[in-house]
Amino acid sequence: MRRGQQLKVGLVLALPIIIYFFCFFVYPLFTLFQGAFTNGANVFTLDNFRSMLTDSILKIALVNTAYYFLGSVVVEFSVGFGIAVLLYNYTGRLKPIFRTAIFLPLMASPVVIGLMWLLILNTNYGPLDYFLSFFGVPPLDWLGSQALAMPSLIMANGWEYSPFVFLIIYAGLQTVPQQLYEAASVDGLTRLQTFRFITLPSIRPSIVVAFLLNAIGVLKGFDLVYVLTNGGPGYATYILSFYTYVVGFSFFETHYASALALLFLVIIGAFVFVMLKFTAVEEYLGLKRLKEE
Amino acid sequence: MKKFSIAVIMLLTLISLVYLFPLYWTLVTALKTSGEIFSRPPVFFPSQIIFSNFYISLNIFGAVSQTAIGSVPWLIDSTIIAVLATLVSTFLIAAPAAYSLVRYLRSVWLGRLILFMTMIPGAVFIVPFFLMVAKMNLLNTWWGLIIVYISFTAPFATWLLMGFFNDVPKSVEEAAQIDGLSPYQIFYKVSLRLVRPGIIAAIILNFILCWNELLYALVITYSPFPSGSQTVPLFLTSFIIIEKNFAWGGLAAAGIFTMLPTLILGIYAQRYLVRGLTMGSVKG
Repeated sequence: MRRGQQLKVGLVLALPIIIYFFCFFVYPLFTLFQGAFTNGANVFTLDNFRSMLTDSILKIALVNTAYYFLGSVVVEFSVGFGIAVLLYNYTGRLKPIFRTAIFLPLMASPVVIGLMWLLILNTNYGPLDYFLSFFGVPPLDWLGSQALAMPSLIMANGWEYSPFVFLIIYAGLQTVPQQLYEAASVDGLTRLQTFRFITLPSIRPSIVVAFLLNAIGVLKGFDLVYVLTNGGPGYATYILSFYTYVVGFSFFETHYASALALLFLVIIGAFVFVMLKFTAVEEYLGLKRLKEE
Repeated sequence: MKKFSIAVIMLLTLISLVYLFPLYWTLVTALKTSGEIFSRPPVFFPSQIIFSNFYISLNIFGAVSQTAIGSVPWLIDSTIIAVLATLVSTFLIAAPAAYSLVRYLRSVWLGRLILFMTMIPGAVFIVPFFLMVAKMNLLNTWWGLIIVYISFTAPFATWLLMGFFNDVPKSVEEAAQIDGLSPYQIFYKVSLRLVRPGIIAAIILNFILCWNELLYALVITYSPFPSGSQTVPLFLTSFIIIEKNFAWGGLAAAGIFTMLPTLILGIYAQRYLVRGLTMGSVKG
């Protein structure tokens, strides 16, 4: 096929997604800018950005987002990674059962997950406080106390998303060629050395991808906050996505909400940019393949 | 090696129980009498199993009922919305786009843009999407929600299918070309059929994403039943907000109703989903 004809066919097939980009990216982005840089009377202003600087709730929301982000990513990554390595090394008959059990939370609706944890974390009738009472822990008000609300959210979120990290790392482990392990055992490497010098470098792509996708998933989080704590107690669990929603649809300050959404977009963009710049994640995701030939 | 086995099995069993327990707890709460729901210490194995939480309807606050049966209209809305959004985005947008990117355009920038679209949090575009749907006069309708859902289903399916199309051997398409098929026929009659596992994975994953979605539903279909159309997560949240401290049995039953379809789909199609979710990262 000639080059020109190739391009023509390519563009025809890509036409729907090009239209999609205009409707769902260019146009809403334009609306956001329009909203963020004007006031209620549609006059150009920078007030929305100025008020960000003095907005004390925004400051709380940003700190909370960082807390939620770091806590969730650390918990989900370490738990998911640990379980993947554990299950990979177990070769018995129960393997599919374990895998399915760990896989299930991914399929459950976040709203239902919120409900589950409302039932589990309840101070009076919940099983968690009951379990902890055996260890001498007094009943804790998980969702109602300033100090525990965020850890509770991270726990619920960890239950939901650690299986995602598990899945990607586990799939990565399965792609490590057995010959490498055989070579390692011939060379007399200990298990720890094998893990450090064979396994880890081989599953590097999975590690980076799992980290990126999981981190993005956490930043997207909204449902659990809405159902479990509704931002409370006080502002203790206000995170950026929740605050943007509240400003836009409880306070109906759409102009300020647009400015907040832009801030949010910049944060996401910066994170993705750093990941692309400093890791080979594009290659791992197969994007680089497009350049070949 | 062998001597670790028992410890490993016990540890894995414990981990599995941790992941299964919340699901189990929701199920038994739905099946318990309210005396056993509100009991200290908590009852882990109910002495009596009842199903009334699923069907007795005691209406309060007009539409929001105290039991799960109230979620049926929302289940229907959810199904229609999720199915339409998923099918439209997969077949009309994602499949041709992914094929074009892998075989024709090969543009890294377009690929990056698609990837970035899958990463934008819902909260970023709620205001523009709300205004857009309002302008089209589609607030509180299926169509409004379907249109907005395409914003995240289309790039996700495209990204997922790119990996699958890349695995289709070129020789198959060249053979089809020699047989005289046009490029579009090759796409539709040959390649699209060869990526069937990818299509299945895209459809199921997107269905689950739509089914579970809450934020856009809150914004686009805010008006209460029966005037608007609403999805199950929305029904369940309003139910939770009202009944948080009271009708736990009914709430848990509604929760079971909500997640059962996706759980069944998930178990049934686990193989496809795992491949879909890990696509790209496995390649290296």
